[in-house]
Amino acid sequence: MRAHGVSRAWEKAAPYILLAPFIFHITAFFGYAFARTFYFSFTEYNLFASPRWVGLQNYVDLVRNVQFGRALRNSLQFAVIVTLAQTCLALILAVVMNSRVRGIRFFRAAYYMPSVTSSVVITLIFMWLFQRGGVINYLTTKFIEYRAPIGVFIACLVVIQVLLVLRDRAGGWPASWFEPAFLLMSAVFSFVLVLALQAARIIGPNPNVEIVRTVWLNTRQTVPGWAGSLAVPRPLAAIMMLNTWTTAPTMMLLFLAGLQDIPRELYEAAAVDGAAPAAAFRHITLPGLRNVTYLVLSMGLISTLQMFDQVAIVGEQAPRESVITLAYFIYSNAFPGSAVPRIGAASAAAIVLAVFTMVLVSLQKRITRS
Amino acid sequence: MKRVKRVVTLLTAIVLTLAVAMCTGAAGADVQVRIAGFGGVDLAIVEELIAKFVQPKLKGVKAVYEPIADGYDRWLVNSLSAGTGPDLFYVDIFWSRGLFSSGAVEPLDSYIAKSKMLKTTDITTSLLNAFTYNGKVYGIPKDFNTLALFYNRDMFDVAKVPYPDESDDWNTLTDKLRKVQAGLPGVYGIALAPEYARMGPFAYAAGFSVFDAKGKSNVIGSQFREGFEFYTGLAKKGVGIMPADIGQGWGGGAFAAEKVAACLEGAWIIGFLRDQSPNLNYGATLLPKNPRTGQRGNLIFTVSWSMNAQSKHKQEAFQVLELLTSPEAQQWVLERGLALPSRQALIDNPYFKSADKEAAANYIVFRGASDGNVFPFEFAAYGDDWMTPINQVLSAVMSGEQTVDVALKEAQKRLDELMK
Amino acid sequence: MRLDEGMAEQDRRAGAENRRKLAARRRWAKAAAVYVLLLGFSLLFVGPMAFAMLSSLKDNPVEWPPRLGSPQLSPANWVSAARLGLAGGGTAFFGQFAPGAVVPFSITYEVDEGGEPGTPIVRVPRRVPGAGPAAIIAEPFAADDAVVSEVREVGRTTTEGVVRVTYEFDIRHVGSDMVYGKLPLDIEVPMYQRFVRATLAPNRIERLGRVQSWNNVTSGVIPYVFYNYHRVFRENYSRATGKNLFVAWIRNSFMLAGIKVVTTLVVASMAGYALARLKFFGRNALFNLVLFSMMIPGQVTFVSNYLVLRDGIFGLTRLFGGGSLINTWTGYVVSTMVGGSAVFIMKQFFEGLPTELEESARIDGASVLKTYSRIMLPLAGPALGALAILTFQGTWNEFFWPLVILTSPPDKYTLTLGLLSFRTTYAVAFDWGPMLAGTVMSALPIVVMFIVFQRYFVEGISFSGIKG
Repeated sequence: MRAHGVSRAWEKAAPYILLAPFIFHITAFFGYAFARTFYFSFTEYNLFASPRWVGLQNYVDLVRNVQFGRALRNSLQFAVIVTLAQTCLALILAVVMNSRVRGIRFFRAAYYMPSVTSSVVITLIFMWLFQRGGVINYLTTKFIEYRAPIGVFIACLVVIQVLLVLRDRAGGWPASWFEPAFLLMSAVFSFVLVLALQAARIIGPNPNVEIVRTVWLNTRQTVPGWAGSLAVPRPLAAIMMLNTWTTAPTMMLLFLAGLQDIPRELYEAAAVDGAAPAAAFRHITLPGLRNVTYLVLSMGLISTLQMFDQVAIVGEQAPRESVITLAYFIYSNAFPGSAVPRIGAASAAAIVLAVFTMVLVSLQKRITRS
Repeated sequence: MKRVKRVVTLLTAIVLTLAVAMCTGAAGADVQVRIAGFGGVDLAIVEELIAKFVQPKLKGVKAVYEPIADGYDRWLVNSLSAGTGPDLFYVDIFWSRGLFSSGAVEPLDSYIAKSKMLKTTDITTSLLNAFTYNGKVYGIPKDFNTLALFYNRDMFDVAKVPYPDESDDWNTLTDKLRKVQAGLPGVYGIALAPEYARMGPFAYAAGFSVFDAKGKSNVIGSQFREGFEFYTGLAKKGVGIMPADIGQGWGGGAFAAEKVAACLEGAWIIGFLRDQSPNLNYGATLLPKNPRTGQRGNLIFTVSWSMNAQSKHKQEAFQVLELLTSPEAQQWVLERGLALPSRQALIDNPYFKSADKEAAANYIVFRGASDGNVFPFEFAAYGDDWMTPINQVLSAVMSGEQTVDVALKEAQKRLDELMK
Repeated sequence: MRLDEGMAEQDRRAGAENRRKLAARRRWAKAAAVYVLLLGFSLLFVGPMAFAMLSSLKDNPVEWPPRLGSPQLSPANWVSAARLGLAGGGTAFFGQFAPGAVVPFSITYEVDEGGEPGTPIVRVPRRVPGAGPAAIIAEPFAADDAVVSEVREVGRTTTEGVVRVTYEFDIRHVGSDMVYGKLPLDIEVPMYQRFVRATLAPNRIERLGRVQSWNNVTSGVIPYVFYNYHRVFRENYSRATGKNLFVAWIRNSFMLAGIKVVTTLVVASMAGYALARLKFFGRNALFNLVLFSMMIPGQVTFVSNYLVLRDGIFGLTRLFGGGSLINTWTGYVVSTMVGGSAVFIMKQFFEGLPTELEESARIDGASVLKTYSRIMLPLAGPALGALAILTFQGTWNEFFWPLVILTSPPDKYTLTLGLLSFRTTYAVAFDWGPMLAGTVMSALPIVVMFIVFQRYFVEGISFSGIKG
């Protein structure tokens, strides 16, 4: 043990040595940046002249700013709706995915594909799908055209299923309403029936259907019509669908991991006690997923509140005020392009965004925990 | 264990080497004048100009072009504020005012006074005025564009309707378009983008000006309303169609796809048509006159060469600027059909008299700058913010979501808020 | 008594048999139902991208109605393109128009009975590109050496009041030495004459159906089928450096993602270890700061970070002779070398490891740094692998921060920025062909990587999640 003192000092310094690069990074690029944004939010600053203290003026202006109001509203609608939608979709996917069948890895890979590719690629592909003469409108048109056969198919399916289940129950077998074997049988029967009806020209596609020409992006309309002031601008709704589609698979993986952590014995015990699958889902699955749900909701809220890429990429193809979010509002004020930067306004909005994120996440925490 | 460490060390070394390599740049002996502008065709044009007309006449100075493919305006503001801006750069008239007022751009008057090659009288006056701010010249216009009415000759032939011409006013043109549309199923009369950049000339023709004596904008007044009603009325009558409604991004796209008989565009459409629809048999004419005032309106789209106020090589930069806007350079640009140059003398160039459909269209666009109530495409320091409310109500009215009254009131309200 | 028992036994056995059959049927049916569901969802998640891939080959990807197929997918057209490529003097895959070439061509029209079909006028046009660098560079025109033979009528049929006529002609290269890259073609007929088919499907039909127009008749298979992909490469190169931009963007994205993986692994593992196992002043505060930083969007801090890079990290770069770090890859790497979540993942991982190994090493007198590098780091393999994949994916797809700091010149862009500039070039003009081709190509590397390293991707997600 030579140079004992030096070695000791060295040991004491070790954590700081290990942490040095990280501390530098988080201090310079996060702590300092955050503090400076806070400072800028009380100043008027255009990057050319030095900042001038204006007190709360920026915040007062924000309240009066129409565009900011829209951005705030769009962001909140987007965060709440997308987070809920993607969590539900992810949960459904995970439950289906959790069944023990072969080839699950293939499907897991297929589902995860949209999450792997970049938001730019996905948004561009979506812009193409949502063209006025695009695939989405085409599929909608086709759906309306084939409404009668599809309706007959579903009606048949339900009737046959009910009959089969009732027959089984009369025979003393405890068949569930969603008995998969019967569902498959009913589906095949109904399909054959619809084909036969079509061949006999009793039902068929509507030949005079009007082509659906919904404008998805370049419009100021809001959907749904009956929601009044809660309605969402249609371009934003399109982006919501897109975002749900891309993030649900990631969330699905989290739920899947959570599901696999729930002991199988619990379900077996429930089955022995004669609990219905729905009851097992409510009393075993949901409580077992509470932590994962909290995580999924938090991650969802945080990421949806900072939605920026899609707005920037859709660009002028949708009216700015219909898709603008807080994140984009901040950016467009900091670098307005056709005017000098308004750093003060941007910073004030940034602080609002930070506060909103924290409030929503902690609110959500309280709700899930109870 | 050792291997992990070795790999980490190796990778760290690579990172450090790369980082150092990226930091250090090569330094040459010549004074370098950095020029920045758009990418795309501009890149090719400016590099060709430098190679042909600039570099051969320079000693000890090297001109280098830096193209910015996307978001040029944002890039310029950022780099100027960072002190890393180029020596010479494009300034689009549209966002020029904010930049000129920031002090980042060098006034050119003193340089022009000493110059032998460049006189202010050589440049088309309306263009030079567009880049004059607070009595000082902040940029030399390099080229310009105006709007013209492009029409599809085949369609007018098939429908047996005379081509639109310079004697047309709003009503006679509407009539011709209506007849063409009736004669050709599936074709619309004219593509109308819901944008002030297309609708503006009609308001100017009716006597509208963007700012009144008090510096305010009045869009509920009769002059603006007349232009607005004519433009949106074309759409409401079914003669005009928004390009997006027929799956196109802009009027040029709809025109190239032969879905409309006419469109309102500038000379930028010519190169596009050459690629997209090389055989399209088109013609061009001046915008129609307002039947009440007998005047046409038009917008001037122009870009200048301006100088960085923080440049370290101002004399050399001005020398490059002189050469870039020299008569020879501008003549070459014109004769290759690349852009319409800013020197007045070029109106007599034989190129304009050739029978080529492209030259004929260019001539119309050139003349558009001096016929009627013509204004540059700029809105003081408001920039895009001024147009946003107008564009919003244009699309709302044209798609039938709002009436003209409600729309104009809303636009006025937003403009008042903006100009408070 | 015995008989009864026997009967009951038989009954029971039959009942058990039935139940087993039923259970088997249920299992089978349930699996089938699950597969139907899984396939349905696959269509939802993979369908749009697969369709985009197919459509990226089309001349016009926004056609109505949208179809799965296109001329570019038809083997008949491949054969024609190959034959024409060979006839032009090139190979079947990459064609040209060389001296001595004789390119045979046939085209069929129809007119209503009573109308007399007019002989088509065939031209090899002199086309100058209107946009892009090619508009300036004068390329030789194939028209200088191409001679079109007399147009012969070779067949005429009349069915149901419609007359179909087929014409043939050939284009000869009569020059002595010039080899042309492409042979454009225009064929004009009277208005009432409708185009039916040709040796190669035309790229566009113009002038209300009067003119059929081809970009390059002797292209060969590859430029014909992958026309849009070809455009992406041909139309996007830096004239200053001559480098192909699309290739440069892919390379940049790979390089930056690779460097960031290294910096993230090094910095995050060190910091994660210290936070997990070492006691030092301010540990809780630092950890809380990490959690806080994970919550705050990048848009909140970007202005300051932009300024920090602009000023060369408080002037530090001046020491190394550098200046502003805006528009430099160094700036990008330094400002994003590690994220709070990476440190968080590593900390959680190290906390989950058993302490015995480490303690025995400490008793043997190993220093903290040695324990970290020799004992703990090798154990962290799985977490490092997952973190590497997550970081790579994140960087490859990152958009906002590169958009702010990497603006010029275009050969410095990452792939996401490049695609954005594509949008301004193509998508705005509704020219979706090259746009889709570009998106498909930029998605490929990450998709391939995902298929190869699927396990790590999935693990990475679970790491960042469950352990939290």
